[in-house]
Amino acid sequence: MDERGKGEREQGLEQPPSVVGGDPEERVVRAMLDAFPSTVSEFNKLGKGVVRFRIDRRDLLRACRFLRDSLGFEHLSMISAVEYENRFELVYHIASWQHRLLLEVITTTPKDDPSVDSVSSVWGGANWQERESYDLMGIRFNNHPRLERILLPKDFLYHPLRKDFRG
Amino acid sequence: MAEMWINMGPQHPMTHGLWNLRIKVDGETIVDAEPEVGYLHRGIEKLAEGKTYPEVIPLADRLCYGSSMTWSHLYCLTVENLMGIEVPPRAEYLRVMAIEMQRIASHLMWLAAYAVDLGLMTGFLYAMRDREVFIDLLQALTGSRLTYNYPRIGGVAHDMPPNFDRDALRACSYMEKRLKEYEDLYDGSKVFMLRNEGIGLLKKEDAMNLGVTGPPLRGSGVRYDLRKDMPYSIYPELDFEPKWHTDCDCYARYRVRMEEMYESCKIIRQTIEKMPAGKWRVVPPRNAPEGTGIGRVEDPRGEGMMYVVGDGTDRPYRLKIRSPIFVTVSAAPKMLIGYKVADVVAIMGSLDMCIGETDR
Repeated sequence: MDERGKGEREQGLEQPPSVVGGDPEERVVRAMLDAFPSTVSEFNKLGKGVVRFRIDRRDLLRACRFLRDSLGFEHLSMISAVEYENRFELVYHIASWQHRLLLEVITTTPKDDPSVDSVSSVWGGANWQERESYDLMGIRFNNHPRLERILLPKDFLYHPLRKDFRG
Repeated sequence: MAEMWINMGPQHPMTHGLWNLRIKVDGETIVDAEPEVGYLHRGIEKLAEGKTYPEVIPLADRLCYGSSMTWSHLYCLTVENLMGIEVPPRAEYLRVMAIEMQRIASHLMWLAAYAVDLGLMTGFLYAMRDREVFIDLLQALTGSRLTYNYPRIGGVAHDMPPNFDRDALRACSYMEKRLKEYEDLYDGSKVFMLRNEGIGLLKKEDAMNLGVTGPPLRGSGVRYDLRKDMPYSIYPELDFEPKWHTDCDCYARYRVRMEEMYESCKIIRQTIEKMPAGKWRVVPPRNAPEGTGIGRVEDPRGEGMMYVVGDGTDRPYRLKIRSPIFVTVSAAPKMLIGYKVADVVAIMGSLDMCIGETDR
């Protein structure tokens, strides 16, 4: 990181970066592999500062807490639910402001049990986004404080973003 | 005193759109709040799955009536990321020029609405009048006034009309003079300042944890602007400063937006000076490859983001849109609790709600 970037970071975010030295993308990959050796896989660098990997859904909550507390990922950008032939994929875009990184964390749930642990205890911003995924795609988030429909009326029967829904 | 729930909305002068704010009051003091959205849900994500890639551009325009240029630009960025298209440099400059004009127009619309919320009718008339200047410029550039349908996958629809650079430069210097007048008008109004300063505190930790982005985040003391920190398009070549304040209140959010307008004028000037010659559009392939694409931009309201999944056909398999206000408004209870009912208008107004993108 150049000098100007460093100055901005110190002014904007009071905490110093938690890990120093090396390529930031590689450092995240290494730290994740050390912490979750058996459940993290398929690392991929998509571009400058963008890293994608998959994680088993049982470890999602622990991994998110680790990302926030130890690796400095303060911001959950977006949760997307995507339906495929045989599975649902939940894509979490998690950003680090101090390291200028964006992670694309993908977790898979089977069709007959679409549920993952809620990460709203880690990032409060996940609360409404998880409700939206529940509303439109029918994913259940375990231990969510209030898993209700948000965009559609409360008595609506379907999850319209599923491919078998025809409006 | 007995506590009770009050509905502010869905039809209320404060809401600027169709949404509902339920607040629980103890006398005049707010003890709990609960925003309700969804009245304007049009299912744009589902609609997009049935359209070809270029057909979604006008639909993306309809996401936000206040700043439609950034949304169609974001959609094009995302699909270009999926298809792996390089945009010609002239198109990048035209796009950045257009989205900065859109940022000024959007902030001016917010300023007008915010002024009338807080009993400053003069400010409303001034800001709406000067918004016309930029709306007219965008009309000359694109042909329409609100939903432009200007960016294309692989470039932009047309080049600048003759003498457009002269008009744009003139509009910038006009605007910079007007902005100083606004500052006198707004900051000199005692009512405006009393209803702004120290109202709607959003602490830095809360703002970061709740996913707040854009001017509310920068007003809470985090210097994070995607144009600078995760630059896209040609922003690394331009010279500007992301604006931020540490006061965390409504006044800080107002200051951030005002100063951003100066920076936008600076950016428009630079894009016109550096505008390279050449093509402004490449023809994209009809079908997208299998894979995913992401795009992330600094919308006038915060971080806009899209995620598209391609399956080899000419239609997107899945398009997910992140709306900045959808996440920001979920932090509203943190700002509202403890203040009086009369402060609701200032606090919610300072977030710059746009229901079109919130409900999608």
